[in-house]
Amino acid sequence: MPSNQTSKKETRYVKTACRACIANCGVIAHVRDGRVVKLEGNPEDPMSKGRLCAKGLAGIQALYNPNRIKYPMKRIGPRGSGQWERISWDEALDIIARKLMETREKYGAETVFCSTGGGGNPEIWSIARFCNIFGTPNWFEPGCAQCYLPRVLAYTMMYGGTDPSIADSNALELYFPEDTPIKTLVLWGTAPSYSCPSSGGGAVVDLRAKGVKTVVVDPRFTPDAAKATVWLPIRPGTDVALMLAWIRYIIENKLYDREFVLKWTNLPFLVDTETKMLLRDGEDFVVWDTNSNFPRTMPYPWDENLAPAMFGTFTIDGREYKTGFQLLWERAEPFTLQKAAETCWLDAEKIEKAIRLFAENTPSGLAIGVATDQTANSVQAAMAAATLDILLGNVERPGSLLQRFRTSGVLKVPNYPVPVAEKMLPPEQLKKRLGGIEHKGLHIWYAGHPPSILDAILTGKPCQPRVWIDRSGNKLGVVAESQKWAKAIEKLDFIVHMHVCQTSFSAYADILLPAAEWLETDMIVETCNTLVARQAVVHLWETMDETLFWSKLAKRCAELGHEGCRKSFDPEFMGEDLAYWDSMDEFFNHFTKEVGLTWEEFKAKAPFEYLPKEEWRSYYVYLEPDENGRPKGFNTPSKKLEVYLESMITLSRTGKPFSLIELPPASKDYEPLPYFIEPFESPNSELAKEYPLVYTGGRVPFYHHSTGRNIPALREIYPVPELTIHTEDAQKYGVSNGDWVWIESPRGKTRAKARVTEGILPGVVHMERFWTPETLNKDTHGWKEMNVNILTSASAPYNDVVGTYTLRGFQVKVYKAEGPPEGIWQKPEEFKSWLPLSEKEVR
Amino acid sequence: MSKQYTLVIDLDRCIGCLGGCRVACKLEHGTALGDSRSKMYTMESGRYPELEMYFLPVMCQQCENPPCVNLCPTGACHKDTEDGVIKINTDRCVGCGTCKQSCPYGAMNFNKEMHVMDKCDICSELRSKGEKPACVKNCAGSAIYYGDINDPESEVSKLIREAGENVYSLPDEGNKPSGRFILRGAKWKEEEPWKK
Repeated sequence: MPSNQTSKKETRYVKTACRACIANCGVIAHVRDGRVVKLEGNPEDPMSKGRLCAKGLAGIQALYNPNRIKYPMKRIGPRGSGQWERISWDEALDIIARKLMETREKYGAETVFCSTGGGGNPEIWSIARFCNIFGTPNWFEPGCAQCYLPRVLAYTMMYGGTDPSIADSNALELYFPEDTPIKTLVLWGTAPSYSCPSSGGGAVVDLRAKGVKTVVVDPRFTPDAAKATVWLPIRPGTDVALMLAWIRYIIENKLYDREFVLKWTNLPFLVDTETKMLLRDGEDFVVWDTNSNFPRTMPYPWDENLAPAMFGTFTIDGREYKTGFQLLWERAEPFTLQKAAETCWLDAEKIEKAIRLFAENTPSGLAIGVATDQTANSVQAAMAAATLDILLGNVERPGSLLQRFRTSGVLKVPNYPVPVAEKMLPPEQLKKRLGGIEHKGLHIWYAGHPPSILDAILTGKPCQPRVWIDRSGNKLGVVAESQKWAKAIEKLDFIVHMHVCQTSFSAYADILLPAAEWLETDMIVETCNTLVARQAVVHLWETMDETLFWSKLAKRCAELGHEGCRKSFDPEFMGEDLAYWDSMDEFFNHFTKEVGLTWEEFKAKAPFEYLPKEEWRSYYVYLEPDENGRPKGFNTPSKKLEVYLESMITLSRTGKPFSLIELPPASKDYEPLPYFIEPFESPNSELAKEYPLVYTGGRVPFYHHSTGRNIPALREIYPVPELTIHTEDAQKYGVSNGDWVWIESPRGKTRAKARVTEGILPGVVHMERFWTPETLNKDTHGWKEMNVNILTSASAPYNDVVGTYTLRGFQVKVYKAEGPPEGIWQKPEEFKSWLPLSEKEVR
Repeated sequence: MSKQYTLVIDLDRCIGCLGGCRVACKLEHGTALGDSRSKMYTMESGRYPELEMYFLPVMCQQCENPPCVNLCPTGACHKDTEDGVIKINTDRCVGCGTCKQSCPYGAMNFNKEMHVMDKCDICSELRSKGEKPACVKNCAGSAIYYGDINDPESEVSKLIREAGENVYSLPDEGNKPSGRFILRGAKWKEEEPWKK
């Protein structure tokens, strides 16, 4: 009929937000006759400004991908056989819930563990919430202590505002090139042009175009390094040594903001050198007053009659005290420019030039990326980075990256709305969090320690985990020492994998669940002063948003008699933690009512500005008056910036402020000031004789974590992982450009294709994570061919505070391979079978 | 003066991410796997640590004297008199590839499925609807501009004037390319990687 034909030709434009990575760029989806036909950037998005990267644009090929898990499925052959039978959601939920309840009954809820991951992850807290309600303290993320948590922890404890991670959509000052006064931007271990091209990548391009100078600290000659004023190609794993040298230089040359440091940090406060605790007088702290040459209590915020000593060692009642600044200086003092140059394989003059830019061409800011989160020195790097910005007074000024701009109030935690329901986890269960006593920083995200979970599975100590529910991409491609995890999997009773498509991990699962692609999901996204709705543009097969899945699983457990799960549906009992929801509408209505809208109305209206830009960009929040008319200060116990982080000691002994209950102490106190540790597999060690090259990882712009390897438009650009190696090293080890090579560590070996270039620090090689969906049904299940996580280390030593294991900065050797792994695809035409399914095949 | 629409690319803004110029282009035009209307070359020079690198996206340069048009045996490959853009009339194209051989920049693409030639026409169809070309719209660095280079008031003409001596074009073999590249942050390299 003519009218039908007309409607078929009509295009509907849906304003949504991408989730091909975590940047949430604004998207306009073109929908014709119920099918998404085109994606493009939405210019209304204040961060991406209409730009959209390869990953986001390829969203259609992800959505209609033939590899999608379409229905819940039950394994019918042996594990790894790839034989599945379609079942209903009800049956799947029933099987899983019964297994959970049976395991809890027989072995304790803690023997059930869950995991999630960053790849297209819509809501990380969904999983923490379910675990708390079910009663298991054990969930993990391969990121977490290896990605972002160290930075969140340090900036939360020292400052109480957001950290300056560009890839995590912070450092919001950078998105206003038209009027931000920033003059120098330090990109430390971050490459926005790789991690988030259309948001942070574009923002840095805009800033450079208006003359902002950049310093890039990265062993790779990235696009950002190529355009930097100073490039510091650092040896992986030595960042803290370099940061301590920056701190030393800034102190020695008096480049710090004296007034700000005196008044707004805790560095003038006296520290008992034996207990390492600050000297207190009631709620206030004590300084050494140089006017009276006597210790005096410094009332908050400041007493003009006092002149605190910045540096010095003092004796009071027979005990020795030093100022925080004195202790910081002593910690940094050994790290001269020369020492840093030797340790980090850098040029001392270039280091000095970089520090001078950062300290003198101001306002400036230091954006720290994921690189430093991937070694055992993780938290200390974040602490040192925060210290550098604080010493210069780069806090809440126009141009600073550390800001507490206003939020809409719609979401407590922007973009992660699911309440974790922490109080639902019984205290005796919290104590069973694997790795949670030794690495108490993990409690900031209520998370377990992946290697401790792995060890427990392999050894049965302190408990024997039995059931694993994973809602993420390819665990075997992203956890350190994948081969150990593959062994651990054999010991498990029951495995569930929920994802958008089958990955290597699916091969080992007993139940597969179809997760929604981002074009099928809903989420409230807050981006600068704008609220955006990610909205389900279409819905295919029987896929489900995980935000809903965990609710349904809790409901089934409640029906089977789980008391906590039953209570989790009681709005009165749950209060601010919200009762579980039966639909996404119900869930989002809770939040959108803050702006007087239903979720339906919100979706129709978004994107919209919730505050005018000028009002939203709130500077100097610490100077705003509190209820007593005093400046409100920072969100720390002392309201000052706590560069001397005494609360690290409290954290190690009790779990406070992150644990709801007092936990037994860790084996050693955490350090209140950053310290450097040489990577335990180092080029300076004996091991280097056999494994002479330092490995580093890091993104390419076509993939986010383990996603995208089955998307034709991306895979044809980057079909196999490259092993980037310097020309001289390639020559030394007999490797030519384009050769297939083995890369081997003491833990295993894998293959990659050599890219020989001048653009990497000699002695260092780079390779990104990879897996091959085309060999999913072979013995390798696609994770053994070209997987750098066969080389990484899940073993101790870990970071003391959060348990970070070693993903970068360890030793490898590289040598020519006979050819590519068997069965992998390299030619563009080979990816043809993964092109979008037709509308007929989808229905 | 007749119109000459073309692309002007600010290479200082290009971060080589292949979003707009490769993936958006490919999906907009349904280009087959392995083919593309645009290519990306990484231009590296120097010895560690004194290095330079920029990215060079190469597509049809909308030549004033285009050999692809001059040599096309069927007249399918033509220069649009309205906007000066080189287009393929697929009804007339026999896929002989003469244009591909004649293009100094390797910017012609053979559509294997349709058996016709395929090339960048600065998204004629989108422009006719008043929209921007797909690469211009989505480019993560906002590096790509388009417009009438013969109109001194156009955005591209202004950009070129502002950039002064930092404006380059691909080597001219008498074909007179109209595309322009702005590069301040590195030294322009005369290499022609598409000939390798």
